[in-house]
Amino acid sequence: MIEVDQIKKRYNGSRGLDGFTLRVEKGELFGLVGPNGAGKTTLIKILATLIRSDSGSARIAGLDVIADPRGVKRVLGYMPDQPGLYQDMRVLEFLEFFADAFRIPSGQRHSVVDKALEDSGLSTRRDSFVEELSFGMKQRLFLAKTLLHSPQVLLLDEPATGLDPMARVDLRNQLKRLNEQGITMLISSHILMDLEEICTRIAFIADGKNQADESGRTVIELRKEDASLPRLYEVEVLQDAEQAAKRAATFPGVTVLEVQPSRFVVQISGDPAQAAEFLRHLVSSGTAVIKFDRPPATLEQRYRSVFGGQPR
Amino acid sequence: MNPMIRKELRQRMRERRGWILPSLYLLTLSAVITVAYYSTAWGGSQQIQGWQVGAALFLTLAYTQLVLLLLLAPIFSAGALTIEKEQRTLGGLLTSLLQPAQIWWGKFAASLMFVLLLLIIGLPVLSAVFAFGGVGPWEISMVVLTTIIILGTISAISLYWSSAFRRSVHATAVSYVTVVAMTVVTFIIFLIAVSRFQDRAGYSGWSAMPVSVKAPLYLNPIFFVTVSLVPRGQLYPEWFICLAVFFAVAALSAALTLHNLRRSGDVA
Repeated sequence: MIEVDQIKKRYNGSRGLDGFTLRVEKGELFGLVGPNGAGKTTLIKILATLIRSDSGSARIAGLDVIADPRGVKRVLGYMPDQPGLYQDMRVLEFLEFFADAFRIPSGQRHSVVDKALEDSGLSTRRDSFVEELSFGMKQRLFLAKTLLHSPQVLLLDEPATGLDPMARVDLRNQLKRLNEQGITMLISSHILMDLEEICTRIAFIADGKNQADESGRTVIELRKEDASLPRLYEVEVLQDAEQAAKRAATFPGVTVLEVQPSRFVVQISGDPAQAAEFLRHLVSSGTAVIKFDRPPATLEQRYRSVFGGQPR
Repeated sequence: MNPMIRKELRQRMRERRGWILPSLYLLTLSAVITVAYYSTAWGGSQQIQGWQVGAALFLTLAYTQLVLLLLLAPIFSAGALTIEKEQRTLGGLLTSLLQPAQIWWGKFAASLMFVLLLLIIGLPVLSAVFAFGGVGPWEISMVVLTTIIILGTISAISLYWSSAFRRSVHATAVSYVTVVAMTVVTFIIFLIAVSRFQDRAGYSGWSAMPVSVKAPLYLNPIFFVTVSLVPRGQLYPEWFICLAVFFAVAALSAALTLHNLRRSGDVA
């Protein structure tokens, strides 16, 4: 659905994108992760037909973004990192204007706008001026405007920036619902937790290029077990976790990574049988284990494995 | 109807200046006509005819109106595209199915319509001179038509500056510099050229001057209005040359604005 091939873009001599490649399948909810200045916004703007790449190609739903920008706009919804709204327009007027701008036939416009108001939960605010809305409502209004022409593909650039926790949850749920309706999405975000919860796959980008993890993959499937990542186990104990961690460290192939008053985290090399052996060792050595868990690798872990250190 | 025009007009009429400017404009025109009437009809020692009062009032109003509208036109057009950049709404327009030409036309038409609104509400004041005679519908029509062409050109130029800059304040400042250049600087250049020409060729009338000497005036709005006041048969060539020059400048400005609009995605 989204195909980006070796795309390059330079800004005043500096590199915005340097041969980035990406493929997003139909119906996917794809995340784009990278530090500030990595090229995420540049890529999304190229796909949204706002800027032209210097070389390489980009296609959306089979349409070339340079050769057929109008065709691309028909199938595309674009939500920038700072959605611009006309503060002096009423909510209804704002949506009617964009329904008109997206060439929705006048006979259908009224029902399309009503549905957008209903879906976004803004029906009761239809006559309010945009400037009177909260930030979360404004974000919902912009998303409603983005969906007016029923796009097949949504490009969202940092959609959760500035939202409070509840608004973020609302947005995540709304994006999941849209994805279930078959809309393909490419989302760039700094909020790794949000991406982790909703995305099926992610790609890392830095310095305008694809970034590979330790095993050389540039795209990571979030819902699959990742054998390349270290096996981390969380152990919760009844008594002093520090003593228990010291005993754990004596077991071959175990490295203690983190110790808290009632829990510690270890990395165990080898297969799962080694982990079972380690648990037996702990219990037999008198440690009162109340929880032994292997949480799935977090996106933050994966991010660190690609970029190293703290998320930038 | 182009959705941009509807949106622009709705937004403009909601602004406070939507009613303040027309009120101030009418007050200024009324004050000018009052002062002009008393100074023409009662200021001189000579007995003055009604048609002479009418002609004097008409000329005063025509030029005052032009100067006022030249000062007001950039206010409506120089910020038209920069405001979209400042509010970060340009991206929404450029990623909709609106063509850059429709965006330009919407902005241009809405800017011009507001200035035309001022011109139209000033018409009753301008027509008051009919009461004195000396001026007919032809003169008023020509002055109004010429003023519209001038304002259209100024709006197109200001829109170009609006597409070239990111901030409204910069686009407005440069638009005023352009207005001053067209009205004052072209006249000064003309005076210098005339003086040099006369030094070389001795005194000679307007018709004997070469085009190179007269050329700066063809871009001058006040000159354009002045040549619209000549009798019907004398419109050619000066009024038509001004018309062509103003159309060419407006068309060039529009083309450059569209070019900038198509490339403004990085600031959208």
